[in-house]
Amino acid sequence: MSIDRKEAAAALSDIDSIVHRVRQSTIYNLASLMLIMWGALIFAGNIASYLWAPNAGYIWIAVNAAGFTGSFAVSAFDSRRMNVHSFDLRMVAAFVLFFAFGLLWSIGLGHFTPRQLGVFWPTYFMMVYTIVGLWVGPAFVAIGLGITSLTLIGYFFVGGAFDLWMAVVNGGGLILGGLWMRRN
Amino acid sequence: MAELDDIIHQPLRLKIMAALNALPATAGLEFSRLKKLTGATDGNLGAHIETLAKAGYVAVEKAFVGKKPQTTVTATASGRGAFARHVATLQEIIAASAGRP
Repeated sequence: MSIDRKEAAAALSDIDSIVHRVRQSTIYNLASLMLIMWGALIFAGNIASYLWAPNAGYIWIAVNAAGFTGSFAVSAFDSRRMNVHSFDLRMVAAFVLFFAFGLLWSIGLGHFTPRQLGVFWPTYFMMVYTIVGLWVGPAFVAIGLGITSLTLIGYFFVGGAFDLWMAVVNGGGLILGGLWMRRN
Repeated sequence: MAELDDIIHQPLRLKIMAALNALPATAGLEFSRLKKLTGATDGNLGAHIETLAKAGYVAVEKAFVGKKPQTTVTATASGRGAFARHVATLQEIIAASAGRP
């Protein structure tokens, strides 16, 4: 069989395109599970914060602890299923640095009010989603920008029901985003 | 110059092999995911996977997950080698004709 340069280039381009789609699909597959899990936890965390506001600090410590445990479990399950190592020490270090920076500014130096904390953490998370999405895939950018916009709308325009708004927008948004990612 | 692999060169089979080669050595893709990635129909995809399996380039494993049948396709070592040679030949064709009008 003989083909010309143009056909060979087209075949290589097809290969590159499918390899990109497989990598994106593998990332979306793991990320969607994480989004759905975190979305459910954040939904519950916001509802609990609304109902028991004085205990909000403990509630969010519990939410984050459950989230990290769940993230490890999901990534271990996916690693075994796909036979790939998806959650390494660099990932743990990235999480620690991310949280340390957030805590330093929101509690250590910033002295944010509970409402400001409620808007800082989601928008901080979503900034990372949006930046990562520039390399990984447009779904992350859409989820990041969408949730950030709705969070800011809630901060400025939603009164006492802000926690409920965040349960729907942040928790529900992550769940919907995860389901949308799975479809894609 | 090495010859192109007739079995792999067919467009859909090239996509299947490219998708499977993008995964770690022993990892496979479920039929439904492969179908989404390649944009093929059930019948067409099944027929081309069979051709690749007959050539020893892919292994097909059928299992039940709960009550649902699940087919997983994995590239074999021989398939990975053939795919790498095929890609190298495509690159050689482009390199050999570089500078020609």
